Amino acid sequence: MNSRILNNIKKDFLIEIRNRSAVNISFAFAGITTLSVSLAAGGAPFTPVVHAIIFWIILFFSAMSGLAHIFIREEEEKNSLFLSLYYSPEEIYLSKLIFNIILFLSISVIVTALYLFFLQVFPVYPLLFILTVISGCFAIASITTILGAIVSKAGSGSSLFTVISFPILLPVLWTAIRLTSVSIDGSGVQEYRNIVFLLAFSGVIISVSYLTFKFIWTEF
Amino acid sequence: MINIEADKIGKKFGKTSLFKDINFNLTKNDSFYITGPNGSGKSTLLQILAGIQNPTSGSVIYKSDNSIIEKEYYKNYFGFTGPQINPYDMLTSIENLKFTASESAGENRIIEYLEKFDLYRHRTKAVKYYSSGMKQRLRLIHALINNPEIVMLDEPCSNLDTKGRDILYGVLDTLKKDKIIIIATNESEDINLCSKGINLEQ
Repeated sequence: MNSRILNNIKKDFLIEIRNRSAVNISFAFAGITTLSVSLAAGGAPFTPVVHAIIFWIILFFSAMSGLAHIFIREEEEKNSLFLSLYYSPEEIYLSKLIFNIILFLSISVIVTALYLFFLQVFPVYPLLFILTVISGCFAIASITTILGAIVSKAGSGSSLFTVISFPILLPVLWTAIRLTSVSIDGSGVQEYRNIVFLLAFSGVIISVSYLTFKFIWTEF
Repeated sequence: MINIEADKIGKKFGKTSLFKDINFNLTKNDSFYITGPNGSGKSTLLQILAGIQNPTSGSVIYKSDNSIIEKEYYKNYFGFTGPQINPYDMLTSIENLKFTASESAGENRIIEYLEKFDLYRHRTKAVKYYSSGMKQRLRLIHALINNPEIVMLDEPCSNLDTKGRDILYGVLDTLKKDKIIIIATNESEDINLCSKGINLEQ
């Protein structure tokens, strides 16, 4: 990998480790909602579809509370011009995308572990479940990266981020919920092909974002 | 050898014209000041020269050995600093400089500049704990660290104490022999350092 992209990722991780804002917000949200759902359910059994819906709602809002932060922080702390002077828009985009993917995968590991443990869910097809979580996270991170950049330049903070993310994430969530439900109850396993849809969707979003990021990031 | 041509540059914000028809040509050894009252567009003109902002009319052309350079590569030729440039507060000065220094700059040059600007003993301290003057010294190092052919400084003396100014003028005195230096300023000492310039009031 390009050493300049690695440099940028390393910088974002260093800041995140010292600041811990995105990680803390996301992990706190994930932990609190999973525990709340578990306590509210009080041991009552959920159908696989309900499990899948709740699981992806928790992941979605964990992403919303943390992932936009990476670009918004550059704008709020007025570092974006500094960054732009030394790095090309393509390098900035790719480094933020990789950072968001790693961050969201870490969040999803925590959410998955908490959810499976507290709600006593045992997927019939664990491999399909894991692949769904990974490809779903990949798709959500690719969408939230470019939307985070747009929202940060619009100067409207994270409230707008959730609103504009939802319609674009809807096909991803719908597919991921269906696949998760199948992996839990074991019916219609042939739907695993939909993982290709999640990966292809991410590929399209990343390609379009890479080509257009320069026009979003450069103000003038 | 690099040179910059400003060809009838003008800038408007809405219907208000900030400046218009600005022409000059800068080449190696030129040190150029941009002065004028507050709000006259000194920083804007400097940012236009750096390609950070677009002019409303006219154009900026960078040429290296008479071949025109594309705008997206301008930043390979200049070092820029100003009040709008903020290194990362959560990183130390040495981490910030490693982040921006090119591979050719190397750690030795980072240490050399930190010592020159008297920040070496603060190198492991997060920038958020720096005073305004220390932050300004760090900004100046960022503009110089990659040994650029063009040095663009917006209000370089702001927040600097006497010692900081002496360091800066010493460095600029050496640099102006083989670089283009452009300074947006209202300080008479900065202006005296330059061989030519423009007053945006006129």
